Amino acid sequence: MKRHAAAAGWLSALCMGLGQWYNRQYAKGLLFVLIHAAGIFLIASKLFPYLQGLVTLGTKGQHLEKVGKIYKNVPGDHSVFMMIHGVLAALVVLLYVVIYMMNIRDAVAIGRKREQGRDLKDLQSTMFPWMLLALPIIGVVFFTIMPIVFTSLIAFTNYASPNHIPPKNLVDWVGFATFHKLFTLNVWSNTFFGVLTWTIIWAIMATVTCYFGGILVALLINQQGIKFKGFWRMLFIIPYAIPQFVSLLIMKNMLNEKFGPINQYFRAFGLEGLPWLNDPFWAKVSVIVVNMWIGIPVTMVLVMGILTNISKDLYEAADVDGASSWMKFRNITMPYVLFATAPILITQFAGNINNFNVIFLLTGGNPATMNYNNAGETDLLVTWLYKLTLDFNQYNIAAAVSILIFLFIATMAILLYRRTRSFKEEDMIQ
Amino acid sequence: MKSSKWLVLTLVFALVFVLSACGSKKEDSASSSPSASAVAPTESAPASSAAASEEEIKPEDGAKLVVWYSASEKALVDEAAKAFKEKYGIDVEFQDVGPDKSIEKMITDGPAGVGADVFSAVHDRLGSAVQAGVVLPNDLHEEETKANNTQKAVDAWTIDGQLYGYPMSVETTAVFYNKDIVKEAPKTWDEVINFAKTYNDAKAQKYAYMWEVGNGYWSWGIFGGYGAYVFGKDGSDGSDIGLNKPEGVEAAKFFESLHDILPIKAADIKADIKTSLFTEGKLAMNVSGPWQTQEFKKALGDKLGVAEYPALPNGKPMMPFSGVKGFLVNANTKYPIAAKLFAQLISSEEFQQKNFELFGSLPSNKNVAASEKVTSDPFASVFLKQFDNSTPMPKISEMNAFWSTHEAALSSLWNDKADPQKTMDEWAKKMHDAIATAK
Repeated sequence: MKRHAAAAGWLSALCMGLGQWYNRQYAKGLLFVLIHAAGIFLIASKLFPYLQGLVTLGTKGQHLEKVGKIYKNVPGDHSVFMMIHGVLAALVVLLYVVIYMMNIRDAVAIGRKREQGRDLKDLQSTMFPWMLLALPIIGVVFFTIMPIVFTSLIAFTNYASPNHIPPKNLVDWVGFATFHKLFTLNVWSNTFFGVLTWTIIWAIMATVTCYFGGILVALLINQQGIKFKGFWRMLFIIPYAIPQFVSLLIMKNMLNEKFGPINQYFRAFGLEGLPWLNDPFWAKVSVIVVNMWIGIPVTMVLVMGILTNISKDLYEAADVDGASSWMKFRNITMPYVLFATAPILITQFAGNINNFNVIFLLTGGNPATMNYNNAGETDLLVTWLYKLTLDFNQYNIAAAVSILIFLFIATMAILLYRRTRSFKEEDMIQ
Repeated sequence: MKSSKWLVLTLVFALVFVLSACGSKKEDSASSSPSASAVAPTESAPASSAAASEEEIKPEDGAKLVVWYSASEKALVDEAAKAFKEKYGIDVEFQDVGPDKSIEKMITDGPAGVGADVFSAVHDRLGSAVQAGVVLPNDLHEEETKANNTQKAVDAWTIDGQLYGYPMSVETTAVFYNKDIVKEAPKTWDEVINFAKTYNDAKAQKYAYMWEVGNGYWSWGIFGGYGAYVFGKDGSDGSDIGLNKPEGVEAAKFFESLHDILPIKAADIKADIKTSLFTEGKLAMNVSGPWQTQEFKKALGDKLGVAEYPALPNGKPMMPFSGVKGFLVNANTKYPIAAKLFAQLISSEEFQQKNFELFGSLPSNKNVAASEKVTSDPFASVFLKQFDNSTPMPKISEMNAFWSTHEAALSSLWNDKADPQKTMDEWAKKMHDAIATAK
């Protein structure tokens, strides 16, 4: 009695819905047949040219033609739009294939149930969650996956100013040439590795300083004998509450070497002052310090919350045992705080790799340097990306860099997260 | 859509007839357009075709235009829109996109069908716009434009012999000075240097002469004055980079030496700092453009003067960069004829005059520039004279390589007094690489 499953499966493979009809699920079968018809029609009439466009990226650019005295604009293929359409079409086809496969599986599964002579009524309910999920899935495909695929694909083209900007000029597939350029061509590779190194140093420094700075401030405020706790808390949270667009631009003026108030204080004490934003080294110090000012409040608030959760009994017991306050901090407070904040530490690290605001608003990537291509000494990968796309229209290099940033952050995040104790042992505190 | 295509076609045919009527007068019996043949014999050839096309050209039915211009100068578009509505009955909608970013935006928005029909721009980005194919040539009004505007302004909007833009105003930089501190503007750099030695006072933040040294636009005057060039002799040969030629190196030497009279790091000299020092009366000479005239006048009143750049130590005048603002027509516009008519109208003599009255913008139109109002203006006349001694910014798309490297090169010359020959060589190489990778 094996024939039901095989027959339904083959019928469904031949044409969507036939297997369901064979299984006497007429409504479901009709639905699948309709999807099948619509899919075939769409693919043949609309999607196929789009897919072709994705392969060729256009054959004829827009150009001007002179008719008598007047120039007329003759529209041509716009490679980038063709790419978007092509990606959309490919996703629709993919969706169609997935539905096709689900249809065969469904036919086979029902066929098997029939062979075993089971009631088919309860099987209807397995469809229901899928029906509910269909809309969100389609949404995710077109609003999340599509842009990601599209952006990644640009890295494999020569879409860059000035010679490959549609619609007059076409964009072509170049395979891994962009990545090859990025790693081997001196102009790009020097910049890439230089900026990457600084990005990593920056991310580590910024995360560590803000994290421990925040813990320190929280502990200080929480000390017994500190008066006006509310006032101190408010004072430290203010830098976080002011929009960075305002505060960072003010900071930028304050750090001006010649006219900034900070160096003028220095001079009032007879010191020369420091070349805050003009010297490559001091510019890096400046962004890290200013970032502490903005970032410490976040950790501070977090840690204060955790501190209230630590049971007082632990400290009392420690006091009875004659522990010093350093030992209490080392063995009670710190493990608690670390355990609760380790995942946050990773998101902060990832966030700092992409910390656009501080760099862009404070230094704009400057001081400028002859060693880099389209980047300054304090540019992070992400601000370099911004300059590449918006200032210089080098979309392909930018897309390649963004893929690399993504790979880097994803790997780091997964590795680090899996190593933290909060992931390994849910309820363990030393 | 279809009706407008037919309209364009018939217009094209009408124009062909007009032109053939002008070219071969013997066979004017064949001419089917009576109005054209009536005009043609009476005047000389180019003028008649212009006059005839003026009569013949009608905007598309149901046309509606969108114009990009900077919001601070919206009043000009409003007036032009009113005149245009009266003449053709077409509505013009204003959108705030300044000339500094319009071409970038048009390259993405134009092909997508959401760009303005007419937009203002500065000529130095024309190469990129033409390269991307987002602008229509100025064909209908080519002759009038060429006849009415100064040669430099027309050349600035021409690529490969094809005129694209409708020139509107010119802008260059000169030296504003405070008459309380310097009675007369110095004629040579030696005078400036000597004056600076007596006047500069870092503690009191008093400085003699200031410009944004780290910016290629502002520092070019020195390089241009020494005879250096960026691309070829007329700025259109991308393979000939002239920065590290002997002229450029000599200019770099002089540029470096000026750090002694302006002991501030390149990145610290910002427009707002310069402006506030000047308006507070601490800065004697401030290099800026006509767009700040009103602001300075408000602060300094009668004490404000403006002069051409001081002459270089070798006796030659400085040659700063200059820009020519103008209008362009979107290649993807639905109403090309209406758009061209509007661009012509707003860049005409009448509106250049208005533009000068409203905002003090220097006209590119010969008649307006020669008019009593402009020549008697103590500020405009100086800037126009300086414009004659200026190099319009190169407009080929390779110029991107200059702008992406200028700050680094100038800063290292200025801040570190780096070796001029070596730095200029590096700069040229950097630009070379950037151009090569973009290929």
